[in-house]
Amino acid sequence: MEHNTDKSVKDVLMHIKIPVIISTFLLFFVLPISAQKLPKPVGYVNDFAGVMDSASKSQMETIIRTLNEKTGVEIAVTSVETIAPYATIEEYSIELASEWGIGKKVEDTGVLLLLAMQERRVRLEIGYGLEGIIPDGLSGEIIDKSILPYLRTGDYGSGLLKGVQAVAGIVAKDYDIDLDSSYISESRKYTRRGIAGIPSIVYILIFLFLFGGGRFLWPLLFVSSVSRRGFYGGGFGSGGSSFGGGFSGFSGGGFGGGGASRGF
Amino acid sequence: MVKKGLVGVLVIVGIIIVLGIIFSGWYIGTRNSLITLEESIDASWAEIDNQLKRRTDLIPNLVATVKGFATQEREVFTQIAEARSKLAGAQSVGEAAEGYNRLQTALGRLLVIVERYPELKSNQNFIRLQDELAGTENRIAVARKRYNDSVRLFNTKIRRFPASVVANAMGYEKREYFEIEEAAREVPTVEFGS
Repeated sequence: MEHNTDKSVKDVLMHIKIPVIISTFLLFFVLPISAQKLPKPVGYVNDFAGVMDSASKSQMETIIRTLNEKTGVEIAVTSVETIAPYATIEEYSIELASEWGIGKKVEDTGVLLLLAMQERRVRLEIGYGLEGIIPDGLSGEIIDKSILPYLRTGDYGSGLLKGVQAVAGIVAKDYDIDLDSSYISESRKYTRRGIAGIPSIVYILIFLFLFGGGRFLWPLLFVSSVSRRGFYGGGFGSGGSSFGGGFSGFSGGGFGGGGASRGF
Repeated sequence: MVKKGLVGVLVIVGIIIVLGIIFSGWYIGTRNSLITLEESIDASWAEIDNQLKRRTDLIPNLVATVKGFATQEREVFTQIAEARSKLAGAQSVGEAAEGYNRLQTALGRLLVIVERYPELKSNQNFIRLQDELAGTENRIAVARKRYNDSVRLFNTKIRRFPASVVANAMGYEKREYFEIEEAAREVPTVEFGS
């Protein structure tokens, strides 16, 4: 028996060209350690650690679904027991968010709210397209003011729910859409300060419009509103994606590492 | 006899043409994939560069906030200013990495100093700036990983036969990794001994 399999293996090996073998091996080396270790999403809310109450969970699902229908922004709320074998929650979070592709493709409008129980850390990961609306400083503030007080008392479900309400309210305001007032109340804590969040190119453009022959720059404005990191604001219509029965996955949004983390 | 010879020649010509098509198909394919790889290296480098600049812009704000609370810590402010100008004048990947490392060390010292000023630590403006800085830091880490992954793929590909033939013909050379010292990323410890 063993001799036989040995022989067939040899046969196969002889037919495969060496470069193919080498590149297959290389592929294994190049692949991140863990792409296989990451869990698959089961919905907008993924309570892998089993720490959220069901009322909060269903409320989060409703808020996120409504927000997605109106803006195309996708929020994933996820709790995990541990982030091992990753060293930091930041590394885990960017891999998970990119792997799942949270947010609309090209527009990159995704948010991941991640809770790591063993490491006792929480992270808000913001997709490329929302970095202008939710800069890192604001992410940190949302965690500090809305989420941490609940996490510290062990009420994880409520903490995450408050976080989702805050993010949803901020996004809704920016996209100029109406959401249930209960979602918005949390986001009233955050007044937009500007400056830190808005790319400086926007200021330069505004300055040029006001003081230097603005009409020559109109084409530029158009270009930047199309480009991925230009203006985000104007109300985009409905996302058009429907999540009726089962969860059909996220839409392929990209992440660059924006957001903030805290211990709790 | 003549006919047979003609058929033979045609077969050989046919084989040569088929081989030629296969070869040029392979050549073009390899060439294009090398170009794609090179583009992805340049794109991720642009992202690193972008984030390094963003960080350089954030630091004066952070320093100004800290200065408001800790006026007597002049030394560290000087170190940060020096490292900043070093990074700003960087011409190559290696120089940028060196400037990054120096700035990192100086920033680590600044954050140690911050520990001694509780009212600074709870200052809302300072917390926000620190989050912005940490976020930029994290973006650099992400972009650096993507950059180095692309460089690794590219360097492997251009040195391996048979793609190395195409790479040589196109004049491609090994690209430089963006290395940072792991030690520089950690906050230095403070010694309280006499």
